[in-house]
Amino acid sequence: MSETQVTSTLDTTGKCCPMPMVETNKAIKALAIGDVLEIIATDVGTRKDIPSWCERTGQSLLSMTEEGGVLRYHVRKNR
Amino acid sequence: MKSMAIVVRDDSYDKILTPLAFAYLTASEGTQVDMLFVNWAVKALTAEGAAALRIDGRHAAEEAMVRAGVAKAGLPPEVYDIIKALKGTGCVNFYACSLAGAIFGVNEGNLIPEAEGIVGAAWFLNEKAAKADHYQYF
Repeated sequence: MSETQVTSTLDTTGKCCPMPMVETNKAIKALAIGDVLEIIATDVGTRKDIPSWCERTGQSLLSMTEEGGVLRYHVRKNR
Repeated sequence: MKSMAIVVRDDSYDKILTPLAFAYLTASEGTQVDMLFVNWAVKALTAEGAAALRIDGRHAAEEAMVRAGVAKAGLPPEVYDIIKALKGTGCVNFYACSLAGAIFGVNEGNLIPEAEGIVGAAWFLNEKAAKADHYQYF
Protein backbone atom coordinates (compact mmCIF):
# COMPACT_ATOMS: atom_id res chain seq x y z
CA MET A 1 0.00 0.00 0.00
CA SER A 2 1.49 3.33 -1.01
CA GLU A 3 1.57 6.15 1.52
CA THR A 4 0.47 9.67 0.71
CA GLN A 5 3.35 11.97 -0.19
CA VAL A 6 2.89 14.91 2.16
CA THR A 7 4.10 18.28 0.89
CA SER A 8 3.58 20.28 4.06
CA THR A 9 2.39 19.67 7.62
CA LEU A 10 0.28 22.00 9.70
CA ASP A 11 0.23 21.16 13.39
CA THR A 12 -2.69 22.76 15.23
CA THR A 13 -2.35 20.61 18.32
CA GLY A 14 -3.96 22.26 21.32
CA LYS A 15 -5.67 24.96 19.30
CA CYS A 16 -9.42 25.28 18.99
CA CYS A 17 -11.96 26.83 16.67
CA PRO A 18 -11.48 29.11 14.81
CA MET A 19 -7.70 28.70 14.63
CA PRO A 20 -7.36 25.23 12.98
CA MET A 21 -9.54 26.39 10.08
CA VAL A 22 -7.95 29.84 9.91
CA GLU A 23 -4.51 28.25 9.75
CA THR A 24 -5.66 25.58 7.29
CA ASN A 25 -6.92 28.27 4.93
CA LYS A 26 -3.59 30.08 5.17
CA ALA A 27 -1.60 26.91 4.68
CA ILE A 28 -3.49 25.74 1.60
CA LYS A 29 -3.00 29.11 -0.08
CA ALA A 30 0.75 28.66 0.17
CA LEU A 31 0.69 25.32 -1.67
CA ALA A 32 0.63 24.48 -5.37
CA ILE A 33 -2.07 22.49 -7.12
CA GLY A 34 -1.55 18.81 -6.45
CA ASP A 35 0.33 19.36 -3.19
CA VAL A 36 -0.81 17.45 -0.12
CA LEU A 37 -1.32 19.22 3.19
CA GLU A 38 -1.22 17.18 6.35
CA ILE A 39 -3.23 18.74 9.17
CA ILE A 40 -2.75 17.56 12.72
CA ALA A 41 -5.47 18.59 15.15
CA THR A 42 -6.83 17.87 18.58
CA ASP A 43 -9.98 19.98 18.24
CA VAL A 44 -12.79 17.46 17.74
CA GLY A 45 -14.70 20.14 15.87
CA THR A 46 -12.39 19.56 12.93
CA ARG A 47 -13.97 16.11 12.39
CA LYS A 48 -16.78 17.88 10.59
CA ASP A 49 -15.10 21.22 9.81
CA ILE A 50 -12.34 19.85 7.62
CA PRO A 51 -14.40 17.43 5.48
CA SER A 52 -17.03 20.11 4.84
CA TRP A 53 -14.32 22.70 4.14
CA CYS A 54 -12.77 20.33 1.57
CA GLU A 55 -16.11 19.85 -0.15
CA ARG A 56 -16.89 23.57 -0.09
CA THR A 57 -13.53 24.73 -1.36
CA GLY A 58 -12.98 21.96 -3.89
CA GLN A 59 -10.09 20.22 -2.14
CA SER A 60 -9.78 16.44 -1.79
CA LEU A 61 -9.76 14.82 1.61
CA LEU A 62 -7.49 11.85 0.99
CA SER A 63 -7.58 10.45 4.49
CA MET A 64 -8.73 11.15 8.01
CA THR A 65 -7.43 9.16 10.96
CA GLU A 66 -7.74 9.47 14.71
CA GLU A 67 -5.45 7.93 17.25
CA GLY A 68 -5.09 8.80 20.89
CA GLY A 69 -7.07 11.99 20.53
CA VAL A 70 -4.95 13.20 17.62
CA LEU A 71 -6.71 13.75 14.32
CA ARG A 72 -4.70 13.61 11.14
CA TYR A 73 -6.00 14.76 7.77
CA HIS A 74 -4.40 14.55 4.35
CA VAL A 75 -5.80 17.09 1.90
CA ARG A 76 -4.83 17.44 -1.74
CA LYS A 77 -5.05 20.95 -3.14
CA ASN A 78 -7.15 20.96 -6.31
CA ARG A 79 -7.77 24.68 -6.79
CA MET B 1 -20.85 32.16 1.04
CA LYS B 2 -19.48 35.37 -0.43
CA SER B 3 -20.58 37.86 2.19
CA MET B 4 -21.72 38.00 5.78
CA ALA B 5 -23.00 40.87 7.91
CA ILE B 6 -22.82 40.82 11.69
CA VAL B 7 -24.31 43.21 14.23
CA VAL B 8 -22.60 43.09 17.61
CA ARG B 9 -24.44 44.44 20.64
CA ASP B 10 -23.10 42.55 23.64
CA ASP B 11 -19.82 43.96 24.85
CA SER B 12 -18.68 41.61 27.60
CA TYR B 13 -15.37 39.92 26.85
CA ASP B 14 -16.79 36.42 26.58
CA LYS B 15 -19.82 37.38 24.50
CA ILE B 16 -17.86 39.35 21.95
CA LEU B 17 -15.57 36.39 21.24
CA THR B 18 -18.15 34.43 19.23
CA PRO B 19 -18.89 37.04 16.55
CA LEU B 20 -15.18 37.75 16.24
CA ALA B 21 -14.39 34.03 15.91
CA PHE B 22 -17.14 33.55 13.30
CA ALA B 23 -15.83 36.54 11.37
CA TYR B 24 -12.30 35.15 11.53
CA LEU B 25 -13.44 31.73 10.29
CA THR B 26 -15.37 33.02 7.32
CA ALA B 27 -12.89 35.75 6.42
CA SER B 28 -10.11 33.18 6.32
CA GLU B 29 -12.01 31.50 3.48
CA GLY B 30 -12.28 34.78 1.63
CA THR B 31 -15.81 35.72 2.66
CA GLN B 32 -16.36 39.47 2.91
CA VAL B 33 -17.49 40.24 6.47
CA ASP B 34 -19.02 43.55 7.53
CA MET B 35 -19.49 44.11 11.25
CA LEU B 36 -21.56 46.87 12.84
CA PHE B 37 -20.94 47.54 16.53
CA VAL B 38 -23.98 48.94 18.32
CA ASN B 39 -24.93 49.83 21.89
CA TRP B 40 -22.14 49.29 24.43
CA ALA B 41 -20.21 47.10 21.98
CA VAL B 42 -19.28 50.22 20.01
CA LYS B 43 -16.66 50.89 22.69
CA ALA B 44 -14.79 47.79 21.52
CA LEU B 45 -13.79 49.89 18.51
CA THR B 46 -11.67 52.13 20.71
CA ALA B 47 -8.33 51.04 22.13
CA GLU B 48 -9.37 51.89 25.68
CA GLY B 49 -12.76 50.27 25.31
CA ALA B 50 -11.36 47.07 23.87
CA ALA B 51 -8.85 46.81 26.70
CA ALA B 52 -11.57 47.42 29.27
CA LEU B 53 -13.83 44.56 28.18
CA ARG B 54 -14.59 42.21 31.04
CA ILE B 55 -16.77 39.23 31.76
CA ASP B 56 -19.98 40.34 33.43
CA GLY B 57 -22.38 38.83 35.90
CA ARG B 58 -22.24 35.36 37.29
CA HIS B 59 -19.18 34.36 35.24
CA ALA B 60 -17.09 37.38 36.21
CA ALA B 61 -14.94 35.41 38.64
CA GLU B 62 -13.91 33.04 35.84
CA GLU B 63 -12.31 35.67 33.62
CA ALA B 64 -8.73 34.51 34.13
CA MET B 65 -9.72 30.97 33.19
CA VAL B 66 -11.49 32.20 30.05
CA ARG B 67 -8.56 34.38 28.97
CA ALA B 68 -6.18 31.45 29.48
CA GLY B 69 -8.50 29.26 27.43
CA VAL B 70 -8.61 31.82 24.63
CA ALA B 71 -4.81 31.94 24.51
CA LYS B 72 -4.61 28.14 24.54
CA ALA B 73 -7.07 28.00 21.65
CA GLY B 74 -4.61 30.07 19.64
CA LEU B 75 -6.45 33.38 19.60
CA PRO B 76 -4.84 36.54 20.94
CA PRO B 77 -6.36 37.04 24.41
CA GLU B 78 -6.81 40.79 23.91
CA VAL B 79 -9.83 41.83 21.86
CA TYR B 80 -7.96 44.60 20.07
CA ASP B 81 -5.38 42.05 18.91
CA ILE B 82 -8.17 39.82 17.59
CA ILE B 83 -9.58 42.81 15.70
CA LYS B 84 -6.13 43.45 14.21
CA ALA B 85 -5.87 39.79 13.16
CA LEU B 86 -9.27 39.97 11.50
CA LYS B 87 -8.29 43.16 9.71
CA GLY B 88 -5.17 41.37 8.54
CA THR B 89 -7.27 38.93 6.54
CA GLY B 90 -8.23 41.81 4.25
CA CYS B 91 -11.84 40.63 4.33
CA VAL B 92 -13.32 42.26 7.44
CA ASN B 93 -14.74 45.76 7.76
CA PHE B 94 -15.58 47.23 11.16
CA TYR B 95 -18.20 49.96 11.49
CA ALA B 96 -19.32 51.93 14.53
CA CYS B 97 -23.02 52.77 14.76
CA SER B 98 -23.45 56.55 14.84
CA LEU B 99 -26.19 56.44 17.45
CA ALA B 100 -24.15 54.17 19.69
CA GLY B 101 -21.11 56.37 19.19
CA ALA B 102 -23.07 59.45 20.24
CA ILE B 103 -24.47 57.75 23.32
CA PHE B 104 -21.46 55.78 24.47
CA GLY B 105 -18.70 58.21 23.60
CA VAL B 106 -17.09 56.90 20.44
CA ASN B 107 -16.09 59.42 17.80
CA GLU B 108 -13.62 59.76 14.96
CA GLY B 109 -11.03 60.93 17.47
CA ASN B 110 -10.93 57.70 19.48
CA LEU B 111 -12.02 55.17 16.86
CA ILE B 112 -9.31 52.59 16.18
CA PRO B 113 -7.67 52.88 12.75
CA GLU B 114 -8.81 49.35 11.87
CA ALA B 115 -12.42 50.60 11.77
CA GLU B 116 -13.84 51.90 8.52
CA GLY B 117 -15.73 54.67 10.26
CA ILE B 118 -18.92 55.75 11.99
CA VAL B 119 -22.01 54.95 9.97
CA GLY B 120 -25.76 55.16 10.21
CA ALA B 121 -27.65 51.96 10.89
CA ALA B 122 -29.89 52.58 7.87
CA TRP B 123 -26.90 52.44 5.57
CA PHE B 124 -25.52 49.30 7.16
CA LEU B 125 -28.85 47.47 7.26
CA ASN B 126 -29.69 48.30 3.64
CA GLU B 127 -26.30 48.23 1.98
CA LYS B 128 -24.58 45.49 3.99
CA ALA B 129 -27.01 43.35 5.99
CA ALA B 130 -29.79 43.15 3.40
CA LYS B 131 -27.34 42.39 0.60
CA ALA B 132 -25.23 39.84 2.48
CA ASP B 133 -25.56 36.13 1.90
CA HIS B 134 -25.84 35.65 5.63
CA TYR B 135 -26.68 37.94 8.53
CA GLN B 136 -26.06 37.43 12.23
CA TYR B 137 -26.90 39.38 15.36
CA PHE B 138 -25.04 39.01 18.65
